Amino acid sequence: MSKQKWEPKIVAFVCNWCTYAGADLAGTSRLKYPANTKIIRVMCSGGIDPVFILKAFERGADGVLVSGCHPNDCHYNAGNFHARRRWDLFHKLLDFVGIEKDRLQFSWISASEGKKFADVITKVTKDIIALGPFKTYQDMNAEFTTVFPEFAEAGNKEIAYEEEMTNG
Amino acid sequence: MSFKMEEKIISKDDLLKLCGDVIAKGHTLLAPGIAEYEQVKDVSQIRLDSSALPTKTSYKSYVFPKAEPILYYKRSKSDVQLIDVDVNGKKIVVLGAKPCDTNSINILKHLFNWDYEDEFFNLRQKHFVIIGLMCSSFDEYCFCTSVGSSPVSEEGSDLFLIPINEDKFALRIITEKGKEFIEPYSEFLKDGDEAKSNAVLESIKKPEVAFDSKQVHEWLGDNFENPKWEGIGNVCLSCAQCAFVCPVCHCFDLVDEDYSYSEGRRMKNWDGCQFGHFTLHASGHNPRDIQSKRYRQRVNHKFRYYVDKFGEILCTGCGRCSRGCPVSIDIKEIVSNCKD
Amino acid sequence: MDELRNYARELLEKEEVAAVIGYQQVTEKRTKPIVITDPAETSRLVFNEYCLNNLAVYLTKARIRSLMRTKDKTMKLAIVAKPCDVHSIVALIQENQIHRNDVHIISFNCHGVVKDFGCDFNGDNLAAKCIKCETHKPLYFDKIFGEEKQTPKAGDASLEKINELEKLNSKERFEFFKSEFDKCIKCYACRAVCPLCYCQRCITDKAIPRWIESSSHQRGNFSWNIVRAFHLSGRCTGCGECDRACPMDIPLSLINRRMAMEVKDLFSFVSGRSLETPTLVGNFDKKDSDEIFM
Repeated sequence: MSKQKWEPKIVAFVCNWCTYAGADLAGTSRLKYPANTKIIRVMCSGGIDPVFILKAFERGADGVLVSGCHPNDCHYNAGNFHARRRWDLFHKLLDFVGIEKDRLQFSWISASEGKKFADVITKVTKDIIALGPFKTYQDMNAEFTTVFPEFAEAGNKEIAYEEEMTNG
Repeated sequence: MSFKMEEKIISKDDLLKLCGDVIAKGHTLLAPGIAEYEQVKDVSQIRLDSSALPTKTSYKSYVFPKAEPILYYKRSKSDVQLIDVDVNGKKIVVLGAKPCDTNSINILKHLFNWDYEDEFFNLRQKHFVIIGLMCSSFDEYCFCTSVGSSPVSEEGSDLFLIPINEDKFALRIITEKGKEFIEPYSEFLKDGDEAKSNAVLESIKKPEVAFDSKQVHEWLGDNFENPKWEGIGNVCLSCAQCAFVCPVCHCFDLVDEDYSYSEGRRMKNWDGCQFGHFTLHASGHNPRDIQSKRYRQRVNHKFRYYVDKFGEILCTGCGRCSRGCPVSIDIKEIVSNCKD
Repeated sequence: MDELRNYARELLEKEEVAAVIGYQQVTEKRTKPIVITDPAETSRLVFNEYCLNNLAVYLTKARIRSLMRTKDKTMKLAIVAKPCDVHSIVALIQENQIHRNDVHIISFNCHGVVKDFGCDFNGDNLAAKCIKCETHKPLYFDKIFGEEKQTPKAGDASLEKINELEKLNSKERFEFFKSEFDKCIKCYACRAVCPLCYCQRCITDKAIPRWIESSSHQRGNFSWNIVRAFHLSGRCTGCGECDRACPMDIPLSLINRRMAMEVKDLFSFVSGRSLETPTLVGNFDKKDSDEIFM
């Protein structure tokens, strides 16, 4: 394993119209929050398929945040209402098969709530640090880490990926 | 194959001691459990019951795993680096294999060494020692006698056990590999009487012959468009349960699984001809678009194409596919109906 | 039995239905599905404690649906259904997979079926779904046969297992399911027998992008089984066919049942019980709980 200090990897799926704008506001307001979260922007919280979250865990995420517009604020009128029902079930399902509840968190953050965005990210990061690395799921990647030992090294993967992307 | 069979006798206690030694040496010992061939951790698990029905699955997955990586790849800007897979060549001893399972590797061998030699399969099967056990019971789905085998067939076994009485087995050494395996344990063996164990084999009740495989072969050639296929196709639900529990079904799919942008592996996974998308072309055309065509393929492959190509029936008559079929399709009944 | 056969023959002879989907006896303690279009064949129809299959799965199959359309008219499909299978049919109607007027339900007063073929019918061998069953009389039908009889009493082992699992911590539960899913060989028999898995193309068959790895290693098995369970939560009617079909004996209906309990708690909804209530996951209520959202 790496000698570096372990830093959690968190993926946030956020909706384009509210939470992403909220994140923008947090940035322009120069609010500080932990840098462990990678944001993936989707058009609506109703468009996030649960397989996205499983995939995130498969690829080494320690936690996932799903965030959208407040109820009644959806850009598409009802996207978040549909999502709410589904997430409620999915959260219960993951809990039953043994994935800690805090690994997957949800929030409603509007475009004007830059402060809330920073607070939520801070809270989620804190929760995930408390839970530690998501070993149970990542152990299922064991074979990869023996063939490609560098996978075990924290952070290396992203660097390789980014280099690939920028160098063409 | 000029090896001369040798007849020995081994007591049950000595046989278990032998098994204990196999485990102690770090080899894998497989024995039929309740549902599948289980890896034996402790000799008290061993049942050695010749009257048990075949387990739900065979030990096929130990020579031909359900999902195995065949190579790893790593992409960089200018080239692709391939990393070989280290095949686990661990010795595997199967104790008490059913005669309907023992021949499966011999049947599969043809396919995996046909136009391309599959080193994964070959390496694994080279390390296999199969200790067969005579089978003394059958149910309505068994039909080993119809495909040229029998409950007392030694075909495919390296060593073959015949229960003589409560605590004694006749042990037949069938192959060179078997002799090599049993040599260190020669202290356990006494000379046996072939006539005596033959008498046991003859006294065994065997399933009735349900069909003549030669006639079936001929009928299949003439009846590709027979309306009989449609009736089966209506009921079959297109799962691959039958193919996956079959000791000799061998279709596989190659898929690349990427782990990150630049690393990944190529997997060899089980596949089944009853899946609707099995033959789906990239163009959208599907030559076996309806279930009746897919079931026809299954029967034809087993009882005609494989025979034409390799001279063996791709079926051991274990009846697993029929026993487990969610809609109770019985292959014995269907093949028996392959006549006018 | 003769009532059923005569009734089915009449339906076919009067051309009211295109086909009768029913059960035929194979051996004394085993039946199998049969699709009858020829009135003469109706003599093979049976109904007894060995009719395990949920025939509703055939209602969405293209080849069976194609039987409904002849040159000059469209006919119904008749189906022999246990009261629990009627739940599946109701769920299919709710999800607009079949129209109520297109299906002719022949049902029975049911007192339970065996857990597997070959067993004697008694309390010990009662199918898990029958132990907790509350609908011995079908909720919807066009014709009903059979007399009401007492269901044998039996202990609810699957509920006990669920309670036992809930007492464990997350890690132990994860280990339990990981070892169960590890057995999966991805034969997709669970998907094939499920009346509500009617998608023309399942998400696991989609290769670009491949969300669910097709390999049956731990990771692939885990995501497949989770997604299967999730796609059925709020929809599963609890017929237990997945459990019966699984060649590796993975307790699939355990998760389905647990999710059904959850759905009942959260939304007071039970799938496939009423044609009037809309589906759960296809709809929403503005008053749904906000509990999990920050």
